[in-house]
Amino acid sequence: MERQIINKKKRVFSLEPNKNPSAVFTRKYTSHLVPALKKLNMNKNSSKQTVKHEVDMALALSAQEFAWSRFLLQKLSSSTNPTATTSSSDGIRILERSNKEGGNEEGEIEEKLMELQKLLPGGEEMNVEEMLSEIGNYIKCLELQTIALKSIVQDST
Amino acid sequence: MNGAIGGDLLLNCTDMSVLERQRAHLKYFNPSFDSPLAGFFADSSMINGGEMDGFLATAGLNLPMIYGETTVEVDPRMSIPLETTLGTGNFKKRKFDTVTKDCNEKKKMMNREEVTEGEEEEKSKITELNNGSPKSIKKMKIKAKKEENNCSNDSSKVTKELEKTDYIHVRARRGQATDSHSIAERVRREKISERMKFLQDLVPGCDKITGKAGMLDEIINYVQSLQRQIEFLSMKLAVVNPRPDFDMDDIFAKEVVSTPMTVVPSPEMVHSGYSHEMVNSGYSNEMVNSGYVHFNPMQQVETSSDPLSCFNVRHIYSFIMFHHLI
Repeated sequence: MERQIINKKKRVFSLEPNKNPSAVFTRKYTSHLVPALKKLNMNKNSSKQTVKHEVDMALALSAQEFAWSRFLLQKLSSSTNPTATTSSSDGIRILERSNKEGGNEEGEIEEKLMELQKLLPGGEEMNVEEMLSEIGNYIKCLELQTIALKSIVQDST
Repeated sequence: MNGAIGGDLLLNCTDMSVLERQRAHLKYFNPSFDSPLAGFFADSSMINGGEMDGFLATAGLNLPMIYGETTVEVDPRMSIPLETTLGTGNFKKRKFDTVTKDCNEKKKMMNREEVTEGEEEEKSKITELNNGSPKSIKKMKIKAKKEENNCSNDSSKVTKELEKTDYIHVRARRGQATDSHSIAERVRREKISERMKFLQDLVPGCDKITGKAGMLDEIINYVQSLQRQIEFLSMKLAVVNPRPDFDMDDIFAKEVVSTPMTVVPSPEMVHSGYSHEMVNSGYSNEMVNSGYVHFNPMQQVETSSDPLSCFNVRHIYSFIMFHHLI
């Protein structure tokens, strides 16, 4: 209770809330995620998969101006147990393999680009140049998502 | 001369000196040509557009019709360089979008040109590429714009003039092939390296690495580690209940606003997990010295115009997190 009072006293709002894209994304993200989590908690069946689903859904919904978010949304809506963020073990294996072939540099780069494409939702459907620019904002959004998740978890413990 | 042409034509296409210049050009390149109509279509006032698109008004109606005919070769070509020169000043601002392979080829060929001598090339190329296929007005404009964009962007890149074929005039760099495929390939590669440079700034720790392969490795690792982190955090979240009065606005409204570039602090914090280093190793001084550091993230940090204030808050999170988790 006291905490709330302290918070309310010191609350500061930006005059131009939509100007900073990072702030916009983070705000959208948390506004999607936190109510979803609360709902999940009510239902008492928050398995790891459904939380992941909500997390990914929040990510996709907060970044709708990017192409990868559309693909992510598709994936989420089509499958009940989505693996939207691919498992990392495959990636590491492929990477090691490509390091071993010393000769063909062009081929290596191609392989790595394909690898990157697999990481990005919908990356395989894009051409390379598009994919590279999408990766840029995907990384940014992932970073912001990590911060948001961390502060949510931190706050709740 | 480019600027002069552009300026003149943008406003008023009845400038006789320009028409005369165009005619002279045509005569130079094609001595048999002697039509009083040379440059006729360049006059934008002659063309009844419904759309006064300024620089592309002449392109508006004539081009699609004319391209259908193979006989009238010179006149349609005349109008095109006009449009392209017209738009020189404006196109520089346009965003460079990705295009289909056709446009790519055209563009590559146009990349190595200066506009003055490029008129002939553009004419020949455009007729060659668009011959027989009626295109919509919009499409033509877009293509012309993109070509022009390239011209204005890349005219400064021209380093050496090589001897050309007598139909397609492309200026390539010294010691490089001039066929359209390799030029297309080259521009594509340039685009890719441009994007890679941008990614280099985005991914922490990439500035020391040169070479595409290494950077791609770094980027892949970074994305994977971010995704792993998020998985881990969502696992944690599954265990924990968010507090009912949780309000991110309290935390983010101020700290995100107070910094001009939020990219700077966040990758540092996130990167620490990625590289298994404590992020505050470099910044513990600030943490101690600044008067407004709190360990309880829910408490408001004092407002400050210092752009690093948000950074302090954020790395408090990381500090606590990593102490707990690692």
